[in-house]
Amino acid sequence: MSIRKKITSKPWLPMLIWIIGIILVWEIAATIVSVTKRTPENVLPHLYQIFGQIFSTKAVSSGKTATMLVLDSASKTLFRAAIGFITGTVLGFVLALIMKISKLAEKTIFPYLMLIQMVPILGMAPIILSITGDINTSRIVIAAILTFYPVATNTLAGFNAVEREKYDLMYSYAASKYTIYKKVLIPYSIPYFFTGLKISAPMAITASILVDTLQGDGGLGSMLSQSLKHAMSIYVFWLIVFFSAFIGIFSSYFMGFLEKAVLPHKRKTKIKRKDDAV
Amino acid sequence: MSRKLKRKKSLWYRIHQNEKVQSAETVLLPLLFGFLFMIMWQTQKLHTLLHTDTFTLPLPSRILTIIADNSDKIMLNVNATVIVTLAGLVAGSLIGYGIAVLAALFPKWGSCGLKIIAAFNAIPIVALAPVMTNWTKDVSNHADIRSMVAKIMVVTIVCIANMSINAYRGLTELKPFSEDLMCSYAASKRVTLIKLRLPNSVPYIFTALKVAVPSSVISALVSEYFAEYIVGVGRQIRENIVLAQYSSAWAYIVVACLIGIIMYAVLMIAQSFMLKKRA
Repeated sequence: MSIRKKITSKPWLPMLIWIIGIILVWEIAATIVSVTKRTPENVLPHLYQIFGQIFSTKAVSSGKTATMLVLDSASKTLFRAAIGFITGTVLGFVLALIMKISKLAEKTIFPYLMLIQMVPILGMAPIILSITGDINTSRIVIAAILTFYPVATNTLAGFNAVEREKYDLMYSYAASKYTIYKKVLIPYSIPYFFTGLKISAPMAITASILVDTLQGDGGLGSMLSQSLKHAMSIYVFWLIVFFSAFIGIFSSYFMGFLEKAVLPHKRKTKIKRKDDAV
Repeated sequence: MSRKLKRKKSLWYRIHQNEKVQSAETVLLPLLFGFLFMIMWQTQKLHTLLHTDTFTLPLPSRILTIIADNSDKIMLNVNATVIVTLAGLVAGSLIGYGIAVLAALFPKWGSCGLKIIAAFNAIPIVALAPVMTNWTKDVSNHADIRSMVAKIMVVTIVCIANMSINAYRGLTELKPFSEDLMCSYAASKRVTLIKLRLPNSVPYIFTALKVAVPSSVISALVSEYFAEYIVGVGRQIRENIVLAQYSSAWAYIVVACLIGIIMYAVLMIAQSFMLKKRA
């Protein structure tokens, strides 16, 4: 095989070229914008300008550099998002379990589970804030509600996807209900559960950032809105946009990584039709 | 299983197994649950449970009166939100489907491109909305038009990723041997696309839309927060909260839920019509 063929057959090559292409398009657009617009840094700054901020030592707000500021507020936001995410995950899993155990509960709750996704929870953020009274609690509640729905529906889909034969086998062993759940249903539903987690992890972060914008006590969202109002350098805004995009993507990948860590036997085989339950 | 060994099934069991009773249960149980919930809300039991008062969580009767009294103003905002949602949904789904078709035709480059688009899906709406507002500053001199364009663009981006990923699965996950059959007919790529891939992707389109409809409503509401022009259901929720008019805010929340529910119901009806022939 020639060297050229060796390089072109690498699986990561198309990915690399796509990313280079996107960066090129961005830079060309940024160059056009910088000539034509009055305030190019508001519309589309050059990438090096944004990432230059990471290494700049100039203080943007209260003696902190842009990187320190972003990381500081990100740690606050992410911590709250994580608590809400974990709460929602546990609740979602337990609810799915309850719905599997009792047909009655499933029939009663499931239509409302469908309705919950119609309720604009993010739009309701201010209301939840006024009910709970505390910004931190409301952040956790909102992140939990957003997490809860995909986890519950996907896990339930996993429970319901268990084939008849598996039950028959367990019945022939005279297995108790507890054993069936422990040995068959719960292990079977775990990949579906992780599909739910992959969907809800970025949502929990979005929720946490959005709630930040409501009240200024630090966090990515409040920095975002302050920077938009030109209370500090606009590059902080761009840095936050990139950073939140990155953690959104990363959180989803992190769930995939966890899945692989928990389920070694899933590393090769792909689960098909897994998103159908959403 | 021990039940089967009994000579007579108990009456309760027989009632429970009856098909008519079962189908009645699926309708009645949720209704009963909702009814109980509303009663608890109206009689303020819910308020004691959540440690809140009728000011922050108004009674359903009060919310309904407000909706009835302000129907003109509410309809104005509903129109703005629905236009944004639908325009974004249609544009995003069409673009997303187009991308999926391209990706299916050129799988080597396409599947990688889709991975990047899927990554875009994880970008929070709160980061997208202000960027779009900045980008559309020069679209028009009227604040209402340019903020509408910005909102539509946010919804479009949210829909593109979702539709392209699902449609790509529909276009590529074909029934076994069907591709070989097309090959044995010496069918061209174009014919395979039209006769095999496109029809195969229809159920996947609905899977995508089922996710896209709620998320496009929500992204429309959230993008209104960051828009210049103050209009739309989402923005009104926020404006009313800032003014501490919680009951009006609740009225808009109920309206926002209704928009989502109605659009979802329309989608379900469309799905049952479109997929009827396949059953």
